[in-house]
Amino acid sequence: MEINEIETRLRRFVRQHYSVPETDREFSDTVNLFNYGYVDSFGAVDLYAFVEKEFSVSISEADLVTMPLNTIHEISTFVAQQQTEKP
Amino acid sequence: MPQLKVPIRGVNPNHLSQLEYALTFVSEDILSYSVDRVNLTVKVDVKSDDACKKVEQKVNELVRRYEHGESGLTTHVYFRQDRELPVIDAWQGLLERKWITPVGEGHTVLRGLAANLVALLEAKINTMFARAFNAEREYYPSTILCETLGRTHHFTSFPEHIDFVAHLKPDLAVISSFESQCREDGWSAEAHKGRMASHDFAVAPSCCYHCYEGMEGWRLDPPGRSVTATLGCHRYEGANHRSLSRLRAFTMREVVWLGHPDYVVESRHKAEDLIVQWARDWELAGTFETANDSFFTADYAVKASFQRQQHAKKELRLDIPAEGQSISVFSSNFHGTTFGKAFNISLGDRPVTSGCVGWGYERWAYAIFSQFGFDSNLWPLKLREDLQSHNLAQGQ
Repeated sequence: MEINEIETRLRRFVRQHYSVPETDREFSDTVNLFNYGYVDSFGAVDLYAFVEKEFSVSISEADLVTMPLNTIHEISTFVAQQQTEKP
Repeated sequence: MPQLKVPIRGVNPNHLSQLEYALTFVSEDILSYSVDRVNLTVKVDVKSDDACKKVEQKVNELVRRYEHGESGLTTHVYFRQDRELPVIDAWQGLLERKWITPVGEGHTVLRGLAANLVALLEAKINTMFARAFNAEREYYPSTILCETLGRTHHFTSFPEHIDFVAHLKPDLAVISSFESQCREDGWSAEAHKGRMASHDFAVAPSCCYHCYEGMEGWRLDPPGRSVTATLGCHRYEGANHRSLSRLRAFTMREVVWLGHPDYVVESRHKAEDLIVQWARDWELAGTFETANDSFFTADYAVKASFQRQQHAKKELRLDIPAEGQSISVFSSNFHGTTFGKAFNISLGDRPVTSGCVGWGYERWAYAIFSQFGFDSNLWPLKLREDLQSHNLAQGQ
């Protein structure tokens, strides 16, 4: 799947699931979803569960600690890499 | 005395110390307990045979919170400073010098060089941190509305350690009978029975909650606002109270930021650089590392894991050789928009982001005596210089 498609699906999910208004000028693919308060600790569980199910990848504890997975772009890049590395 | 052995083989090894801490809150029928890390069991001494079944159920319920899941507790160490340290029983040494006097469970009076050190810490934070962030000084009440604690999610994160405050019912007969009983028999907890009004306040468990409730409804100008305060705080920690390292009544200093996320994130990073510099200057042995709060709730693993993944909590932990462990003397915390949303504090059209750093004064003093002893002339050079400068400025 192309990274643009991943970003689009992820952006749609975040907007709908976390009630981000269309008028929010700071929301973007590169905004830190946690620092800016779009997603909290429980929201993170939903977000990662969505990513795993929607894109058929798995996110490990080590990935969360070592990879920057804080923005839509970072998560999408991670998903694209995982899908490329799949046998 | 009946003894239970509860297996904990399913518990993530990284969670064992958290489990050990939490066991004190399981049941009043537990006389003592220990975690056997070799055989992976919890040994519990129970008051009576009748209570065993219920106690076992409760211990198992607690153990389940810490069992393996997807979430672990990875620690990232940002800074480490090792020193050859002597083993000094600071608690005993401070008692002998009358620089501390215990006045009840987890309550201690500080005087002499211990009090002098606390005054130095207060002054050093003023110059090194409060001024650097242009933090405005605020003064807070020692107690806080339970309603406010509810809004900060405190009751759903740390319900076990709240010290509630209550007064007698405002009723002449109740007050007179209480006074009579105390006059005749002296005070005892029995005298409270049936005479207390409901609890609407608690002793503040943390310094910065007053900051947020005091700013309810505020609209901030960019980039935001910084605040600093010192407050006597309370946390009941059952059998975990010991020495100056885990007090029930302790003194907390905080610097808080509220505003644009970038302002809070950058300020917090700057404060973290400063605290590492401070630890280097005073040659303190310890680490600055990721941490998590001891959430006493069924969702512990989720909250704790998220805090660590996001590096939302970091601690400066100083070595206490006599206790064979380190203690947290400083924490750096990122709250996202939790408090901005809870108290309707905004910047532009968004709730503010907040973060804070906090110092526990008694723990700092305890760590310094534990690492360097009681003769300040033998302390590391920069610490000695800071103390001398502070004393000169105070006319001491």
